[in-house]
Amino acid sequence: MGRAVAIIGMGQTKHGRRYDVTYPDLVREGVQAAFEDASLTPADIDGVVFGTMPSMMEGVAMTHFYFADALRAVGKPMMKTETCGTTGMSLAITGYYWVASGLADIVLVVGSEKMHEGDSQATMSTVLEPFYLRPFLAGAPGVFSMLAQSWMERYDIPEDKGREAAGKISVDHHKDAFDNPYAHIKKDLSMEDVTNGKVITYPYRLWDICPNSDGTCAVIFASEEKAKKLCARPAWVKGVGFCGDEYWYGDSDKVAWECAIDTAKQAYKQAGITNPLKELDVAEVYNPFTYVELIHYECFGFCEPGKAAEATLKGTFSRGGELPCDPSGGVLCTNPIGATALVRVAEAAMQVAGKAGDHQIDGAKTALAHGLGGVSQFNGMMILGSSL
Amino acid sequence: MSNRVAIVDVAQTPGSESSDNFLDQLYGVCKEVLDKTGVSREEVGCVISAASDVFHGGISCANAYYWDSGAGFLKNGSRQDGESLLAFYYGVMRILSGHFDTVLVVGICKGSENPSDDMITHFYTDPFYQRQVGLNEIFAAALQMRAYMDTYGIKEEQCAQVVVKNLGNALRNPYAHLKQRIDLEDVMQSRVLTDPLKEMECAPKSEGMVALLLASEEKAKELTEKPVWFKGFGSSMDTFYLGDRNLLESEITNAAKQAYAMAGIKDPRKEIDVAEITEPYAFQELLWCEGIGFCGPGEGGKLIESGATQMNGDIPVNPSGGVLANNPYVSRGLYRLAEVVLQIKGQAGERQLAKDVNTGLAHGTHGFAGQFHAVAIVGT
Repeated sequence: MGRAVAIIGMGQTKHGRRYDVTYPDLVREGVQAAFEDASLTPADIDGVVFGTMPSMMEGVAMTHFYFADALRAVGKPMMKTETCGTTGMSLAITGYYWVASGLADIVLVVGSEKMHEGDSQATMSTVLEPFYLRPFLAGAPGVFSMLAQSWMERYDIPEDKGREAAGKISVDHHKDAFDNPYAHIKKDLSMEDVTNGKVITYPYRLWDICPNSDGTCAVIFASEEKAKKLCARPAWVKGVGFCGDEYWYGDSDKVAWECAIDTAKQAYKQAGITNPLKELDVAEVYNPFTYVELIHYECFGFCEPGKAAEATLKGTFSRGGELPCDPSGGVLCTNPIGATALVRVAEAAMQVAGKAGDHQIDGAKTALAHGLGGVSQFNGMMILGSSL
Repeated sequence: MSNRVAIVDVAQTPGSESSDNFLDQLYGVCKEVLDKTGVSREEVGCVISAASDVFHGGISCANAYYWDSGAGFLKNGSRQDGESLLAFYYGVMRILSGHFDTVLVVGICKGSENPSDDMITHFYTDPFYQRQVGLNEIFAAALQMRAYMDTYGIKEEQCAQVVVKNLGNALRNPYAHLKQRIDLEDVMQSRVLTDPLKEMECAPKSEGMVALLLASEEKAKELTEKPVWFKGFGSSMDTFYLGDRNLLESEITNAAKQAYAMAGIKDPRKEIDVAEITEPYAFQELLWCEGIGFCGPGEGGKLIESGATQMNGDIPVNPSGGVLANNPYVSRGLYRLAEVVLQIKGQAGERQLAKDVNTGLAHGTHGFAGQFHAVAIVGT
């Protein structure tokens, strides 16, 4: 269907507290890294796709104007795609369709956030309408707290077991991040450090939760013809999926979450995947909060519903396990929101292109990237492969 | 794989303030366009919306609140922020990719729940240089208008004539926001807002929900006897700081060039039958008409005086009344397209042009003095 599309370049900034650069400079740094990775120049690009979280995150609205020069977009066609936390994935999907449609051959896709210039939780509270939801769902922790609790309640998961599985995810990812030169938080944690951490919203404690990060990610998509000409090891887009749920938080089941399940179905169908646990070599699951990652293992069919804790504790999703998840350290260690899901795509592309350095999963041929957004309302997915 | 995309039908709300809430208004246009085409919500392939975090009644992540009211429940979809014509282009991409047969494109703006547009456009400024001096879209437009008059000898009366033409056209458009019978004197006497811009030369703040159903060639032929085909598209971004730009040579020329190349148009003035131009400030209609090649540089004043852009002229511009009569900031680009589609289908009611309308141009712009432009060409 459509034209084949590949990723031929990925760039990331060093994510973290970037007081050393202005916001446009941070964007420029990520864009430049992608150009260098692909050995291309701005003149080679047919169009630019850009997006972030809501403008008030940093106090500048419609930042594609402000960043036009940093994006190297002057005199070029642009798209401005934004879908909350899924923004990064929606950006990648826009780049994919732009090339697949035949309307462009090479597209630069950029996502960014400079969260230390604003108040992210205050901004995110405004995703909620002012009458019913805003008074009780301030920011992300409240939303994900209910999600974790309903998961444990639904499947009769003992509190300790849920805690231990989420704890393992935290310990592993914070350690994994040491091998990722772009990661923000890198930490040697013991299980006790995590389980005794300060409670933020039950059952989440300090180390169950992602940081605020400043960062940019840039990815270059190309047509089959261009990719074969320009890139020794392109990462081919094998499947994409996206699904939006209804807005009112209480109206849908977020545990056996149809929106996430359907997203995976779309992407698996296009990629011809029937047994994700066997056929995927690595997955970058969008995991801003530990329990969220567990729930998505189930929705994506990595394990049976209600069995994510067992599988995690068995090591199925660890670095040496059957399906390593988030070897980059994931969102848990690095979260410049507008870039975050695009980082998942870049990391998946790096894995199948054999460019992931110290966190390379040996022989990875098929990788999954995921984005999650809204008040648990949106899921997006892209599956990448080393061969066409 | 189909290589053509059609607009099957459109639905829009009037621009005046409505007592319907945000979600009901959007639901209404989605339902209307689906009913008209006989397509059920379940059959729609995906939904691409245009909405902006800052023009959204204080609710951010502007794709979240209306997702289900906008027919998106458990559907694939996406959103464009800023220029709504990009949502149309994205819909076209999705169909051309072969993955979808139908795409619902919606534009969303409930102006009555927003602060003034210029309070919002002030936030386009960078925090270091521009914000300190209070720059916003109207100040930038005033600078541009002054440069236009100084460089080419364009007269204030010529700019004011755009208002007389467009508000005159709006009297026949049931979806227009401003309905005023006015003459040149009224415009010239209206209060100066930002010299040299007068109040009636600046667009109002309006509401606007608009929905368009796109379909692949095969599907479109099943759904309508009068498909309006996608012919060409172009867009272009200019550099950010006003001082670095020549405000009279905008990226509209580049956007139009791309669209014409795709549509195979060589002589736009002759080949285009109707144009809907985004002119939030009256003089911009003249300047943008130059940019898309309806006349030469500096000839915009003569163009309006010649009557060519009137309803009965050789190249009617803004038969809907344009943005001066109806300005739902975010969805206004899609409103331009919706009007062109109705003109081509021959369904524009009292404002239907007397001649055959086969090819139309829809233009959208936002940003200071037109930092970004998009041009779409559609036709029979």
